[in-house]
Amino acid sequence: MDVSDILAAHDAKQKAVTVEKDVPLEIDAGFLTVTDLNPVDREGYEADREEYLMSTARDGAQALVAALFALPTTSSPDGPLAQLPTPTTQLPRAKPLPKPKPPTKWEQFAKAKGIQHKRRDKKVWDEEKQEWVNRWGWKGANKDKEVQWLTEVPANADVDYDPAKAARDDRKARVAKNEKQHQQNLARAAQVNGAGSSSGAPADRKKHIDRTLAVTRTSTASMGKYDRTLEGEKKLKGVKRKFDPTEISAANEKSRDLAIISKLDKEPSTKKAKKSSDSSGDVLNVRRAIRSASKGKGSAALAREAGGGKGKKGKR
Amino acid sequence: MLRTVKPKTARSKRALQAREPKEVEDPRTAIFVKGTHAGEKVNAVMKELMALKRPNAISFSKKNAVRPFEDASSLEFWSQKNDASMFVVGQSTKKRPHGMTFVRMYDYRVLDMCEVGVDDWKSMAAFKTPKATPGHKPLLHFASELFDSHPRFVQLKSMLMDFFNGEVIDGIHLAGIEHVISISLGPTPPTLNATSTLQASTSAEDPTSLPKVHIRSYTIRLLKSGTRIPRVELTPMGPSLDLTLRRHTDADPEMWKQAMRRPKLRKQEVEQGLGKKRKNKEVDEMGDLRGRIHVGKQDLGRLQTRKMKGLKKGRDSMFVDDDDDEGLGESGGDSDDDGQRWKRVRAE
Repeated sequence: MDVSDILAAHDAKQKAVTVEKDVPLEIDAGFLTVTDLNPVDREGYEADREEYLMSTARDGAQALVAALFALPTTSSPDGPLAQLPTPTTQLPRAKPLPKPKPPTKWEQFAKAKGIQHKRRDKKVWDEEKQEWVNRWGWKGANKDKEVQWLTEVPANADVDYDPAKAARDDRKARVAKNEKQHQQNLARAAQVNGAGSSSGAPADRKKHIDRTLAVTRTSTASMGKYDRTLEGEKKLKGVKRKFDPTEISAANEKSRDLAIISKLDKEPSTKKAKKSSDSSGDVLNVRRAIRSASKGKGSAALAREAGGGKGKKGKR
Repeated sequence: MLRTVKPKTARSKRALQAREPKEVEDPRTAIFVKGTHAGEKVNAVMKELMALKRPNAISFSKKNAVRPFEDASSLEFWSQKNDASMFVVGQSTKKRPHGMTFVRMYDYRVLDMCEVGVDDWKSMAAFKTPKATPGHKPLLHFASELFDSHPRFVQLKSMLMDFFNGEVIDGIHLAGIEHVISISLGPTPPTLNATSTLQASTSAEDPTSLPKVHIRSYTIRLLKSGTRIPRVELTPMGPSLDLTLRRHTDADPEMWKQAMRRPKLRKQEVEQGLGKKRKNKEVDEMGDLRGRIHVGKQDLGRLQTRKMKGLKKGRDSMFVDDDDDEGLGESGGDSDDDGQRWKRVRAE
């Protein structure tokens, strides 16, 4: 039997679908891309450019199609899908890689203790109603105690003890606690990502609060000397009052005194003028002094107090 | 920098989530911007490119005073605003007529740029041939040895691949292969021959020595060949562009390094859709893909008709008001409020 004819026919068929090049074509099936690294043929290019470009493109496309048709396929409703391999060409990303979500405090704890994550269904079986009810939310099972018609009351309960209200308060407290923990987790996550500035680590935060407190305590006119102290409040350390030097040059002293005297013979200024004198600053701010001396009650109260005996002041 | 918004609705939350970085990225969205003067040629070419890039293309119809090589702040702003990571800026000046700049972004910052001049072009409409369906993925064909050796062309190849095809997909419908975009170069000038590639990067400052870039697109006909693999025949589809390379900026090495980072994908993830989150789909023990869809139970008895207070039911019996005790104190004489009475009857 002579099979040479059949073989020749087969070869001819194969010839039509195979591409022979000096440098084999580089095929990246993942990106549907073929690269023909053969140098461009100057003669063919100059003779008929469009024809030349189309013939090289056809060779490339033929090689790529052959590679694609050789890929394993899966069936789909629309027809066979060729499964593409991962691309070999590396293209730059458009956005950075997603950051892993920082673990919550519970997740950290569970990991340390080796606690497995157990998924709780949202529905629970209600024996009485004989149906599935929500664990929480609308008609949730966690509200059973609040709506049941009969509730056991502890023996030592108050007269006005309302079991429904107590159950509701408990539930609300649990929700609030959860929300608080959620916020703390968010703050912790923000800090890990370096975004949080005001709410830093607990030590930082404490330092920050102490500092603010110290500033407020010394920001009264008397540097906090006459402030009422709270119980257990410690005396602030390191607070130094700054006094003007006892000896200053005669010229300086003279100019300072003259500034005070020039204020004295002025008529009471308007509110606007007062403001501007505030900003000039170096002389006594009467308004503020009255306010601080009267502890914010005003000059009338100060006068009354001075006239009406030593009542409060004596206590100090 | 845009202000960061905290989403108020579920819809806006989803929209913001869609913008967040993903392990396997979506294709790059390209914005087509006209400079202060683009000119007829560049406008038309950008339109053609946009037709190929659709649906991941946004067109800016107004002119903008933007010079990508001098100040990229506008590009960065637009990139963030539109969540787009690629730009094509058309600009025609006396010094550089008919210029188009391809800009690639990383993390809303400019990664690299490449300017080309349009020498010659032919529109898609000029070819009276069938066109490819929009949205179908093209095959890409690059022809020249310079795409492997010359830095300018390596960048151009990477840029064009990102522009036309930069999406990782896990499967393709073979019958859906409709067109091929071929990017070929003119003959390599002797100065750029393979032996002198080392000098190439230094002498590349003179762009006139670089060969021309020919972009052609063809539709594919798959003919029967008697074997499993079909024979490919091409028909010109258009557009066809002849471009010359002009200015470029390379990526900052540090930024490039960051942009080239790859996610660590587990094998199982690769099999199940390459890091993309697939909800409600799972493969069972038999290897069948099973999906769950949500079809709400439809009960016509509970069909919402006219809303009236008196028709309310169900929900009221659940909640007992805090001031319910005073309602109980009254001896049930208020017939004006049906809802209240109903609740009380159930509560007692």
